[in-house]
Amino acid sequence: MLKLFEREILSVDEISQAQTGINVRDLCVHLNSKLVLNNINIRIPKNKITALIGQSGCGKTTLLNSFNRMNELNKNHQCSGEVWIQNRNIYNRKERISRLRRQIGMVFQRPNPFPMSIYENVCFGLRIQGENNRRKLDDSVERALKNAALWDEVKDRLFDSAMLLSGGQQQRLMIARALALEPEILLLDEPTSALDPLTTLYIEELINELKKQCTLVIVTHNMQQAARVSDYAAFMHRGELIEFSDSDSLFTMPAKQQTEDYITGRYG
Amino acid sequence: MFKQLQINYRQALAETTSLLCVSTLLIFLVSMVVFIAFQGSQYFIPKLAYNVTIDFADGRQDVFYQSSALDSRSLKAQIDSRYLGQYLSSPQNKPEVEVRLADDVYQVMSESGRVYFGEFHALSSSDQMNLPLSELSSLLNTVALLQNNLQQVQNGKLKDLHQSIALLNSKQVADDTPARKAQMKEFERWQGHVTALEQQILQYRMQLKQANGDLISLALNDLDYLYQPNQLDTFDKLHFTFSKIGQFVSDKPKQASTAGGVFPAIFGTILMVILMAVVVAPFGIISAVYLHEYAPNNKVTGLIRIGISNMAAVPSVVYGVFGLGFFVYTLGGSLDQLFYPQSLPSPTFGTPGLLWASLTMGLLTLPVVIVSAEEGLKRVPQGLRAGSYALGATKFETIIRVVVPMASPGMLTGVILAIARAAGEVAPLILVGAVKFAPNLPVDSDFPFVHLERQFMHLGVFIYDGAFHNQTQNQSSSLMFATCMLLLIIVFSLNISAILFRHRLRHKYERA
Repeated sequence: MLKLFEREILSVDEISQAQTGINVRDLCVHLNSKLVLNNINIRIPKNKITALIGQSGCGKTTLLNSFNRMNELNKNHQCSGEVWIQNRNIYNRKERISRLRRQIGMVFQRPNPFPMSIYENVCFGLRIQGENNRRKLDDSVERALKNAALWDEVKDRLFDSAMLLSGGQQQRLMIARALALEPEILLLDEPTSALDPLTTLYIEELINELKKQCTLVIVTHNMQQAARVSDYAAFMHRGELIEFSDSDSLFTMPAKQQTEDYITGRYG
Repeated sequence: MFKQLQINYRQALAETTSLLCVSTLLIFLVSMVVFIAFQGSQYFIPKLAYNVTIDFADGRQDVFYQSSALDSRSLKAQIDSRYLGQYLSSPQNKPEVEVRLADDVYQVMSESGRVYFGEFHALSSSDQMNLPLSELSSLLNTVALLQNNLQQVQNGKLKDLHQSIALLNSKQVADDTPARKAQMKEFERWQGHVTALEQQILQYRMQLKQANGDLISLALNDLDYLYQPNQLDTFDKLHFTFSKIGQFVSDKPKQASTAGGVFPAIFGTILMVILMAVVVAPFGIISAVYLHEYAPNNKVTGLIRIGISNMAAVPSVVYGVFGLGFFVYTLGGSLDQLFYPQSLPSPTFGTPGLLWASLTMGLLTLPVVIVSAEEGLKRVPQGLRAGSYALGATKFETIIRVVVPMASPGMLTGVILAIARAAGEVAPLILVGAVKFAPNLPVDSDFPFVHLERQFMHLGVFIYDGAFHNQTQNQSSSLMFATCMLLLIIVFSLNISAILFRHRLRHKYERA
């Protein structure tokens, strides 16, 4: 198995409070009156990459969405339990949802650039916050694009429409757009499922670089990708968390039969 | 084998039937446009002048000049047919008609829009008679100079005197004070001067000999232009056509809307439509945003949607009646009582006018705008909204910064369709403010410059008027067709610009 980086991976039980990026306690989510997440407890480690795997409809995306409360876009939505990020329960009533979402970036399955220039796409979040200082915006845009390994390709055409970029470039632009807000956590919802293998590899390298800056959670259907990229992996099935451990042990010697069946392709 | 044939036959039938429908439709459309363009262009093309002689069986003779676009044979047939029915019982008494081209005849257009035909007889000035035609330009110059003088006196000295006398009146100075007497004397002196000038101007005249030998005399200050219709070369004809088009779009109607131009109608239509767009665009777009983005997806919203669609199907005259009853009488009446009590009982806003017409048309076109704006909002992908939310934007920020810009093509289409509809509407406008002739434009140099309470002219109403009230006159029906053509051009160009706009915005926002 290809390992791109030396890893310093603790086992799941050894993760201390300080090393926890997201702490989920007893999370249950109903969408459209259907139980989608059933009593999830998971501690996602800080500055590591955690992959969520499982078959379609098992609740991976819902779990991801509950980290930045995107589930609430669905009006028919109920949720109980707690999600702690940096000693705050984000489901607390006092939590400001727009502030929360600024701290937690999200990249979607399909690139969804706004119909604006590349520059405006990247500084969209900053402008929302009321930042209009041109120099600060310039700096943030440059930093974000460099972090997303897109700067060299677009630095000469920052003011062209973002729609003109290729799929892979658009997806990196989406990462840059999220990074411009300097988030603590970056959520990636199948970020490479619409891309070709080479671009996928490119983005995987990028993700690996990013864990220096933030905690990453990635949803993927691609077992190889999960094994390649992630430090930790969680297997979910029908709304329940079946197994959560470091990727090495989950992919080489899974503790549960269900997990083994899934990763070896026997069902799902 | 037979089955195969049957299937082929059915396919062919389906194909040809649909093709037939489309081609019929196309033929109707094209022939309508061609017909209107042909009839309308008659107004701009110089016509030939004919000398028509009609010998009646009882010895009477009618001789007159007639202008017509037809050749002499068809004109004769046309005039013959006029007597055919009249003398059906005694065909032997049917008059002899003779039609000749009248080569030397002049056609004279007067400022008031009247047309005279006749051979040139003489010009006369204040001191000379029987001047030749070559003197015309110098005489016209003299007349213009005199007119200028007259105007200066009227607008300068006479106006000042008038004002100072009015001032004395308002101060209730007695009639026999010396100052006032002096003023009155001065006033009378200038008044006499003006009368003398007017008399002098009227002495500059042109005499034309009509076909039956009678002389007609017309004052040169009323003369617009004259030409010999049968002696125009191609260049003259082109020049005539273009100047006629220029007059059509820049002049006001003359001779009870049978001649002149339609500028007040164009102006009124555009102003009404702009006012309507200013009202209906924000209102409709904000309603659509509420309905699509904020309103809960339940039965009440569904009912509201059905209501809006049905509003689009209400006959327009009903809107007119509503506008008259609500806007004009109720709203306008209360405005008058609140703000213009001094001029009651004569109404200011409580009468049909531009503002009420715009509001009525706004109400009429609101469903169009709402429906197409909602279509535009539906086209915005859900992923984009999610992307915006994920960056910490609130719902309002998402709508303002992402959703509305992306839905703008649909919204714009709605507004332009509404404008096109309002430009062509007639029935409600007659009720709420459009008239067949308005003496003043709604915008002028008097304070407050835009007079929303005034009645205005509208192209659609102008056509309606032309169609129903001037059916007999050839010239007026071609003016009506010319106006139809203009309206068609305006509506077509609006629709085409809507399509182009939508295409451009789509290119900008929806290139994925």
